[in-house]
Formats: sequence, C-alpha cells, structure tokens
Amino acid sequence: MKRAASTPLGRVLGSGAAHSGTQHWWQQRVTAIALTVLTLWFVISLLCLPDLSWSSVHTWLAKPFSALSMSMLVLAACWHSQLGVSVVIEDYVHGAVSKTLALLLSTFAHLAVAGVALLAVLRIAASGN
Amino acid sequence: MVELTLPPDSRVNKNGLVYRAPEGAKKPRTFRIYRFDPDSGENPRVDSYEIDMAACGPMVLDALIKIKNEIDPTLSFRRSCREGICGSCAMNIDGVNTLACTRACEDITGSEVRIYPLPHMPVVKDLVPDLTQFYAQYAAVKPWLETRTPAPPDRERYQSKEDQEKIDRPSACILCACCSTSCPSYWWNSDRYLGPAALLAAYRWIIDSRDESTGERLDALEDPFRLYRCHTIMNCTEACPKDLNPAKAIGEIKKMMVSRQH
Repeated sequence: MKRAASTPLGRVLGSGAAHSGTQHWWQQRVTAIALTVLTLWFVISLLCLPDLSWSSVHTWLAKPFSALSMSMLVLAACWHSQLGVSVVIEDYVHGAVSKTLALLLSTFAHLAVAGVALLAVLRIAASGN
Repeated sequence: MVELTLPPDSRVNKNGLVYRAPEGAKKPRTFRIYRFDPDSGENPRVDSYEIDMAACGPMVLDALIKIKNEIDPTLSFRRSCREGICGSCAMNIDGVNTLACTRACEDITGSEVRIYPLPHMPVVKDLVPDLTQFYAQYAAVKPWLETRTPAPPDRERYQSKEDQEKIDRPSACILCACCSTSCPSYWWNSDRYLGPAALLAAYRWIIDSRDESTGERLDALEDPFRLYRCHTIMNCTEACPKDLNPAKAIGEIKKMMVSRQH
C-alpha cells in the first residue's frame, strides 16, 4: 500500500516504481500474435471439413497435429484473457481486498477453463486414430 | 470501484441563470458555461449567456473575456498569452479539451457553445481546475538534464542538429493538461498513472542525446501503473492543441523497455 505522504510530489512518487509490467505487456502482445495465427488455423480447418457433424470434427481433432494446435489455441486464449482481465480489474476495482480477491478469482477461473479444455482435447486425442 | 457517476454534491444543475442578448444584437449566440463556487455551498450549475458575436472577437477566449467584462464579472477562468503558448486557458469546449484562445467560435457546429472545465479534475471555481497533482507528476519525471560527465569548460554541451530534431516536438509541450484529462485511464487511476503529459516529458529527456540518466529514467517508469496504465486509447494525441503525439512517445518508451530486456 502507498504510504501517506504530505506533499503532492510525495504522493505521486508513492512507494516507487514496481520495476515490472514490461513482461506483462510483452506477453500480451506475443499471445495476441499467437492467437491470430491459431484462430486463422482453427477457422480454416473447420471450413475445410466435409461437414460439421460430431464424428467429422471428432476425427479431425483426434489427429495429433490438430490436437496439438488446439491445445496451443486454448492455452494462448486463456493466457491472453487472464492478462487482459487482470488489467481490467486493476483499472476499475480499487479496494485493496476486493481487487486482490477479483485477481485471484480471475486467475483461478482462467486456470480452470484452461485445464478443462486441455483435458477435453487430450481425451479426444487419446481416443482417436 | 471507480466512480462512474458524480457524487451528489457535484451533480450539475442544468437550469442555471440565463443572461439574454442585448436589444438589437446582430449575431446572438448562446454560451452554456459550467459554474461552481465552493463558497456558495451549492451544486454546480450551467449558466447561459447570449452574446452578440458581431461585437466579439473570433475565439472562445474572446467570448469568455467579453462575458466577464460586460455581463458577469464573477465568471472565473485562467488565461494569459491568448496565442496558444502558455496553456492557461485549457478547458472542455464543445466536448473536446482544447485551448479557448485557439478555438474559433465559428468552427463549433451547433447553435450553443458548451464550456466545461477540464474533465475529472477537482474544480477550484468555474472553469479553473486544480492542477496540483498534474504538476507533481511532471516534477516526478525529473524534467531536467542529468549527466555525470561535466560540461566542457569552454563551451556548452554539444547537440547535433539531428539529435535536436528528435526532441523538438516533445519539447513543444505547453503543459496545458488537455491530453491527460482526456484520457479515461488517467480519469480512473491518476493517483498512480503518470498520464500522457508527464510521460511525453519523460520521453523528451529519455531521448535527449546529452542526458546520461536514460536507464534510471526507464527504471522509474517501469511500473504497471506509472507507464503501463496507457492502453493506447489515443485520446491524448487527438486532444493535443499543439498537434503533439504523446501516444507515440509512450509507445516508444514501451519499446525501449522491451528492447533493453532482449
């Protein structure tokens, strides 16, 4: 928490720079590029299928390359979203307790979604050809 | 949470006083101006002043001075140079942060000219915002040359023409606060985010070829709030009455942060 300072400059300088943030910013850009490529792959792959029936999609997703790319898509999407949502929370939620809780909740929720989605892809891949 | 609505005692009464145009006015035009007097204990209100543009200078500042001189001497606003170099008369005119002295009344479409103080700042009175925090943020980036090498004994520090050109534009900032107060990220987090004006000033010293504190300057900015609350909204560049580009300067600082890591 910021210390209580009595001068305007003291309040602006606060507890000093955290010496972080660059990694967060860079990761958000890298995951955005990854998502662009992977989303294009995903949409084009679906369009190339003969139909969108359960069995066609299942067979396609069970192939090793599809399963691997799908896993990366899920991971990149969850990672990117976690980074983005944490920025939104920091922007708008200012209470120390509510902010920490919201950040924790968001991180756990993203981890859970990523875990469930990865497990689903792995199960399909394991059941496949 | 951030405050998305004004607190009760800041809510604006839209039906303020109305001052009609004088008899025989050739080109009457209405100026709707935000009024707040902390000593009155009343909520802010919007007063309407009808003035004859046929007997008024072309700029919004001319109209404000005319109102203060001829209609209502209680109207408060800052002004000095009346030629866009002091930055005193920055305010929100027709929904846009700009300088009253360089904004022509003629260029404002719509019959009424709406004038408010710079957004999301504490109001001292009427159109006068409290810029204490804004100036402290400027001071925080150490806007002066820092070197360890002493200056040559017989002449000033050398600056090539090319290197000078890099800092010409960022140096032209007049600290009017139009950019910072147009930035939503600054509205929500100005206690920790330095804002576009201070970051443009920081950039001006970071890229100064004579300065030897580039690393320390970047260190002081590397913070999730001080620098990285900029979400590239670009309102700052849109608002700047001097046509400067704080958004690009912030982008360049972020690029330097990354390139010194890889």
